[in-house]
Amino acid sequence: MKKTLAGALAVLLLTAACGGGTGAGPSGGTVKLSDGKLVIAVINDQSGVYADLSGKNAVEAVKMAVEDFKAKYGENALGGSVEVLTADHQNKADVAQQKAQEFYERNNADLILDVPTSSAALAIADVAKTEKKLYINVTAATTDLTGKSCNKYTFHYAYDTYMLAQGTGITVTQQGGKSWYIIYPNYAFGQDMEKSFRQAVTAAGGNVVQSDGSPFPNTTGDFSSLLLKAGQLKPQVLGAMQAGGDLVNVVKQYNEFKLKDQNIKLAVGLLFDTDITAVGQDALAGTVYTTPWLWSMDEQSKAFADKFLKRTNIRPTFAHAANYSAAWQYMEAIRRAGSDDADAVVKQLEGYKFNDFFIRNGFVRPEDHWVQHDALIAQVKPKSEAKEAFDYSKVVSTIAADKASRPLSEAGCSMPK
Amino acid sequence: MRRGLVLLPYAVGIAVALALPRVMYPVLALDILLWGLFAMSVDLLLGYVGLLSFGHAAFWGLGAYAAAIAAKSADIPFALAAILGAGASALLAVPFGYLATRRRGIYFAMVTLAFAQLVFYVANEWRDLTGGENGLHGVPRTFPGLSLGRSADFYYAALPLITLGYFLAYRIVHSPFGHVLVAIRDNEPRAQALGYATWRYKVLAFVLSGGLAGLAGGLFALGNGFASLDLLHWTTSGQAVLITILGGIGTLWGSLLGAVIVLELRDALTSAPEASGVVTGAVFVVIVLAFRRGLWATGRDALRRFAAPPVSARIDISGGEVRHGRS
Repeated sequence: MKKTLAGALAVLLLTAACGGGTGAGPSGGTVKLSDGKLVIAVINDQSGVYADLSGKNAVEAVKMAVEDFKAKYGENALGGSVEVLTADHQNKADVAQQKAQEFYERNNADLILDVPTSSAALAIADVAKTEKKLYINVTAATTDLTGKSCNKYTFHYAYDTYMLAQGTGITVTQQGGKSWYIIYPNYAFGQDMEKSFRQAVTAAGGNVVQSDGSPFPNTTGDFSSLLLKAGQLKPQVLGAMQAGGDLVNVVKQYNEFKLKDQNIKLAVGLLFDTDITAVGQDALAGTVYTTPWLWSMDEQSKAFADKFLKRTNIRPTFAHAANYSAAWQYMEAIRRAGSDDADAVVKQLEGYKFNDFFIRNGFVRPEDHWVQHDALIAQVKPKSEAKEAFDYSKVVSTIAADKASRPLSEAGCSMPK
Repeated sequence: MRRGLVLLPYAVGIAVALALPRVMYPVLALDILLWGLFAMSVDLLLGYVGLLSFGHAAFWGLGAYAAAIAAKSADIPFALAAILGAGASALLAVPFGYLATRRRGIYFAMVTLAFAQLVFYVANEWRDLTGGENGLHGVPRTFPGLSLGRSADFYYAALPLITLGYFLAYRIVHSPFGHVLVAIRDNEPRAQALGYATWRYKVLAFVLSGGLAGLAGGLFALGNGFASLDLLHWTTSGQAVLITILGGIGTLWGSLLGAVIVLELRDALTSAPEASGVVTGAVFVVIVLAFRRGLWATGRDALRRFAAPPVSARIDISGGEVRHGRS
């Protein structure tokens, strides 16, 4: 209760400060919605490989954010009703694009959220640009969204391939893992990851002995040729950039070949809690990885995770938490702007500095719309150390927000005004 | 009087095509017409030459990529870009057809599938040109004197070109050339004995079919503003075959009907993901069981029996099918 009060006070002060300081927008928090209601649409994979890590539960997270927001600011916090729509894009770019267009045009959606699969995310960014409506990407990792495909109405929340490489690549190398063998799925995401990791490892004084692509999609689930090669190369670190189901197979085979006993450490590029559930905690124990957030990292995160658990029966992945946080910050921006007009909201978001349970030291870069924030280096615990179900990992260290973000000079974004 | 009756279905068809974006979402309406044309190109081979191509995604995808690259790199009218896409696909169909038509049946299907996979992997690896997994985005669509920003505008601008595609398919089927194709389908040795170089006919049919698929794919990329790797995936070939079978093999217009069902179903199920597999499967099973020859053919025959049993055979209201005795 005390925390809520303090939070409300802080927000009030902030609203007052913004309103008074810049003179932009009404300061009292009265919001005028253009069509009498606010519509937030969540487009993601609800039936395929990414259904667990975001999917339906990400929709629940957004609904939670709306309910909590109303609980905090009152039923009429946004000057009208708030509707949450959702669609399953089946990981197809054309379906995603059509749904986005339809939501913006026909349902008057003010915001689209989530969208895993980079080709789908990039397609929606294009729609946002032409429709002049907001899109906050959460689950797609491609840096193109804030690079060559950046636009005024698209924001990138939570994580990207640069953050993952900076975190895991540098930390593991500094801890003594100097020689790396990198295996990656041979498509855009994997190649981005390979490039980013190679840079990070080399910059930290390490050395990539070799890197090999695995076929994608890998329908047989067989990675033995690469893992046998790892056994011959004897690097200190095996860097696996595979994601989701592929990663699960790599880890299982890594254990079967007993590479750990040969002192070949496993570092993974991208790991969701749902992957750990699939492989089993002990199979991954000791693995170091980068994540924007862990549900068990501190009290306020746990408070969210408890509420989430009650509602969905699982602990949230960082994608779930990020969807909640992004929806929340969007609604805050509307209150500051006093309107749901996309241009006014973009103006409020650009250059905004904030903290919430998910984002620490947050700053919305106006130049490329990357939402920079602290990232975490985490390590999977053995099951014996877990205090409860879903207690998978512990925080090893924190990467400062500016270190976890791609330098603007490398982004290659020319933001149209 | 009779002439009027023959033209009636076309008038209805055009009226429906014009009204479509008003009753349904214009992007979806455009997709239905384009998938219809794509499936028609498959039907051209499957229904009229008896060749099941399982690799038509190669032509649909190549058309899309060629049109997208042309529109992105040079500021040309969308119609020209789409025709370029069709040309590129027809060109690719020459070597593919040359090799694939030496086989029939399952072997033909396998060879076409292999070729399509080849194209898929080339597109995936050639990232500088195709954007790899991310695809090509921000494809512009322009035409001098027209503003095509809204999807409904583009629908009407593309309609003449799509209609031209349908007309071409119709003409191919109803020409002497089309009749030779049907003869080949029914009995190839007999057609050879009559003096036709059947293999050449088959290659030409393959090239025409590839070109039509490329036209549809090119317009798809321009209409949606992107070309992605999905378009080249083997499941895309599968979907085209599925649409053809649902609508009715060897009916041409059935492909359009199939496209309506498949795409409407896909659209409706995006908001009910847990049911998508079950519902789609069930609908397909019912259609295949209840409409043995596809929706179009079964529906038309029922209509005929109902309307005017004895004389109706003379008025082919489908206007689509070449009916030759397969004794």
